[in-house]
Amino acid sequence: MESNTDDKDTRRYIAKSAESYVAPDGKTYLVISLKTTASIADSQRTSPKEVEIAALQQGIIPCRYLRNIGTIGLEGQIKLLQSTAAVVGAGGLGNTVIELLARQGIGHLIIVDDDHFTEQNLNRQIMSTEENLGEFKAVAAARRVKEINSATSLTTSRIRLTGDNAHSVLNGAHVAVDGLDNLSSRLVVEHACRQLAIPYVCASIAGFSGQLMTIFPEDVGLSSLYGSSHSCMPEQGIETRIGNPPSTVAMIGALQVQEVVKIITGVGTPVRNQILLVDARECTIERIKLRR
Amino acid sequence: MALITVRFYGLWRSYLGIDSATLQADHINGALTQLEEKFGNRLREKLERAGVRLEGKMQDYSLILLNGIALRNLSSTDLKQGDVLHVFPPAIGG
Repeated sequence: MESNTDDKDTRRYIAKSAESYVAPDGKTYLVISLKTTASIADSQRTSPKEVEIAALQQGIIPCRYLRNIGTIGLEGQIKLLQSTAAVVGAGGLGNTVIELLARQGIGHLIIVDDDHFTEQNLNRQIMSTEENLGEFKAVAAARRVKEINSATSLTTSRIRLTGDNAHSVLNGAHVAVDGLDNLSSRLVVEHACRQLAIPYVCASIAGFSGQLMTIFPEDVGLSSLYGSSHSCMPEQGIETRIGNPPSTVAMIGALQVQEVVKIITGVGTPVRNQILLVDARECTIERIKLRR
Repeated sequence: MALITVRFYGLWRSYLGIDSATLQADHINGALTQLEEKFGNRLREKLERAGVRLEGKMQDYSLILLNGIALRNLSSTDLKQGDVLHVFPPAIGG
């Protein structure tokens, strides 16, 4: 976690600038606007993130997080702003995860992807547009994050994660999130996360269905599903035949973000040592306990 | 013979039209043979109607867990009363 802002001037400016906001339920909150946050950050030569953290520590809520606080509390929002999530793969799931984590107020994002947008990405990769075909996905994702939340800082890596570079790329992350489309890369990330002692929110989709598992270093992992012999594992699944529709990507990406929020804030229970199976076709969500 | 339960998930459940079934077998191989005999053709027909042609047996293109353990990781392949087979298609895309 990053160190807290303890600059007395910054705190004083924040307190002076706080405004009252009456919520629809009649409750009054002290809030600080985006414009004021930027102005204080500028005048105090600090970052919007540090201003937001300092405000929250005084019970003053940045307006942009007002609708987060009821779910995760002030402490939860502070923890998110002080945390780093690495999103490996900025395609379908990755785009959704990055967008939602920026809106949720994650402090720092590590975005890893070596690929460019193509036309077949337009159906589901929400940062792809007709205008940016051919652009590096990591670059487009970084631009989008900056548009959404100036408090979220970024590290982008336009490389393919491998066993050789995984440690340096994921270094500093408090959690890694799966935005990949093949099993062998997921195994590389899982292995690196175990060595770095950080959780890995792993998910995938096919057609109307998706699956998710959150793997802490001591938990059962992908080998519990696919067997422990890597040569027996399928490289791709039935999605090569039944496709990757946008709504399934959005649904599973959103669940991944919920897992990250739960891990960082301590609110709720992550899907550990289980696989969550979601099927939108029949509207079912089920969990299977996994064993070694 | 042990009475075991097979639970289907995702697309397999939709195409087979059932959540679960029971089988009687003492060994995983017997259970997989029955799984293929009872459900394999039905599943492939449904998939083919949806434009998906899969070769091989159901076990070749399904993820199958026995009481939450991948079949390849089982230390014993004998079955006992009340065992549960979880069967679903692998989803690997993103």
